[in-house]
Amino acid sequence: MSMMALVGFLIVFVVLILMIFVMKVLGYTFTRKVKTSRKSSVDISEEEVAAILTALKLYKSDIHDKETELLTIKRMSRAYSPWNSKIHGLTPLPEYRRRQW
Amino acid sequence: MTHILAESFIVESIEKFLSNSGFMVFFEVEGYKFIIMVLIAFVLLYLAIKKQFEPLLLLPIAFGMLLTNLPGAEMFHSELFADGHVHWDIFVGTAGLIDYLYLGVKLGIYPCLIFVGVGAMTDFGPLIANPKSFLLGAAAQLGIFATFLGAFALGFAPNECASIGIIGGADGPTSIFLTSKLAPELLGPIAIAAYSYMALVPVIQPPIMNMLTTKKERMIKMSQLRQVSKAEKIIFPIVISVIISWILPDAAPLIGSLMLGNLMKECGVVDRLSKTVQNELMNIIVIFLGISVGATATAASFMNWRTIGILLLGIIAFSFGTAGGVLLAKLMNVFLPENKKINPLIGSAGVSAVPMAARVSQSVGQKENPSNFLLMHAMGPNVAGVVGSAVAAGILLAFMG
Repeated sequence: MSMMALVGFLIVFVVLILMIFVMKVLGYTFTRKVKTSRKSSVDISEEEVAAILTALKLYKSDIHDKETELLTIKRMSRAYSPWNSKIHGLTPLPEYRRRQW
Repeated sequence: MTHILAESFIVESIEKFLSNSGFMVFFEVEGYKFIIMVLIAFVLLYLAIKKQFEPLLLLPIAFGMLLTNLPGAEMFHSELFADGHVHWDIFVGTAGLIDYLYLGVKLGIYPCLIFVGVGAMTDFGPLIANPKSFLLGAAAQLGIFATFLGAFALGFAPNECASIGIIGGADGPTSIFLTSKLAPELLGPIAIAAYSYMALVPVIQPPIMNMLTTKKERMIKMSQLRQVSKAEKIIFPIVISVIISWILPDAAPLIGSLMLGNLMKECGVVDRLSKTVQNELMNIIVIFLGISVGATATAASFMNWRTIGILLLGIIAFSFGTAGGVLLAKLMNVFLPENKKINPLIGSAGVSAVPMAARVSQSVGQKENPSNFLLMHAMGPNVAGVVGSAVAAGILLAFMG
C-alpha cells in the first residue's frame, strides 16, 4: 500500500511537471511572437529617433498655442414631455369641499 | 352494541395511526439513532444559516440529511444502490424522490456538471503566467496519499482508503465523484467532511503556515506576473484536456468538464452558455447534489466509529496537503535566484478550495507585510490544485477501479 501511495504521488508530479513544460513552450511561443511583431523593419539610429520625437513635440505644442480661449455655453431647448414630469407621478391630495351651510 | 363497536373502531384507528407514525420508530431498538441524526442535521443547518459555513452546499446537504432520517418518510432507499450498482429491477417500484435525484451522483453526472461551472468561473491566467505553480499544486496532493496510508493503518479497505484520502484534495465534486465510484456507502460522511473542512480552511491552514515558515519568508514580495494573451487562455483548456486525458483516461470526465467550462468562458463566442453554466446550471446541480448526498447520511451508515475515523482523517488530510505545498515552496526557494524567490505562503493554496485557500495566503502574508499582495500569485497554485486533485482522483480510480 505504501508503494502504491508513493507511486500515485509521483505520477501526480510527473503529469503536472509535463504540464509545466507544455505551458512553458506555449508561453515561449506567444511571448516571442509578441516580441517579433513589435520589431520595426526600418533601421534608424537613436539620434534620428530623438530628432523625430523633438520635431513631433514642437509640432504638437504649436497646435496647442493656437487655442481660441473662448468659452461657449451650448443652450439646449427641450420640449416639455409629460413622461418625466414629476407632477404626474404624485398622488394628488384630496380636495376638501367647503361645507355648505 | 353499536356504541361498543364504534368505540373499538376509534381505538383501532388511533392505534393504526400511531403505529404508522414516525414517532413509533423512536421507541424501537436503535431508534435513538434517528433522533441523533436529526439533531446533527439541525446543527448543520445552524452552521449553514447562522455561521454561513459553505451555506450553498451545507444547507441542502443538511436538509437532505433531515429528510432521509425522518422515520417512515421512505424518501431514500440505500438498498437500491447496494453492492455498488443500481438495482434497476426493483427501482421503479420502490424508489422515492431522493432515489431519483441520487442517480445523478451514482452515475457521476453531478460532479462533472459542477466542474463545467467551476471551469467557467475559473481564471487560469495566473497559472499560465507562472507554470511553476503546477509543482505546488502537485505537492499539496501529499494530503491525499498520506491519508490514504493513514486510513489503511486504521483498517479501512483499499477502495475506502482512496475515497477517504481524496478529502485531502479539498475539492468537493472530486471527492463525491471518486467516492460514488469506489465506496458509495461512505459518500455521506466523506462529502460532509470535505465540505465542512473546506469551510474551515481559514481556521486549519494559518497555524500550519506560520509553524512551517519564518517571518522573513512570509514577507517575501514576488515579482509581478506577466500578461497572458487571449490565445494562450483559449489554447490552455484544449491542450490540458487532450494531454491529461491521454495519460489518465480515468481523469477525463473531471478534467474534460472543467476545461470545457473554461473554454466556454475564454473563447468569448458562447457568452450565453458560459453564463448559464456559471449560474443557472450550477445552482440547479448544487441543489440536487446537496440533497441527494445529504440523504445518503442515514442513521445506519453515519452513526458508527468509521464516520468519526473519516472526520479525523479528513482534518489530517487537509493539514498534510497544506504542509506539502508550503514545504515544496521552501525547497524551490533553495534553487531559485534571489529576485525570483517565491513566498512559501502561496504553497498552501495548492490544496484546491478555490478561492478560499488563496485568500488565506493573502491574509496571512498581509499580516506580516501589509503592502504584500499575494492573492494573484496564490491563485496559480490554487487552480493547479484543482487540476492536481482531479489527476490524483484519476490515478486512484486507475489503481482501484
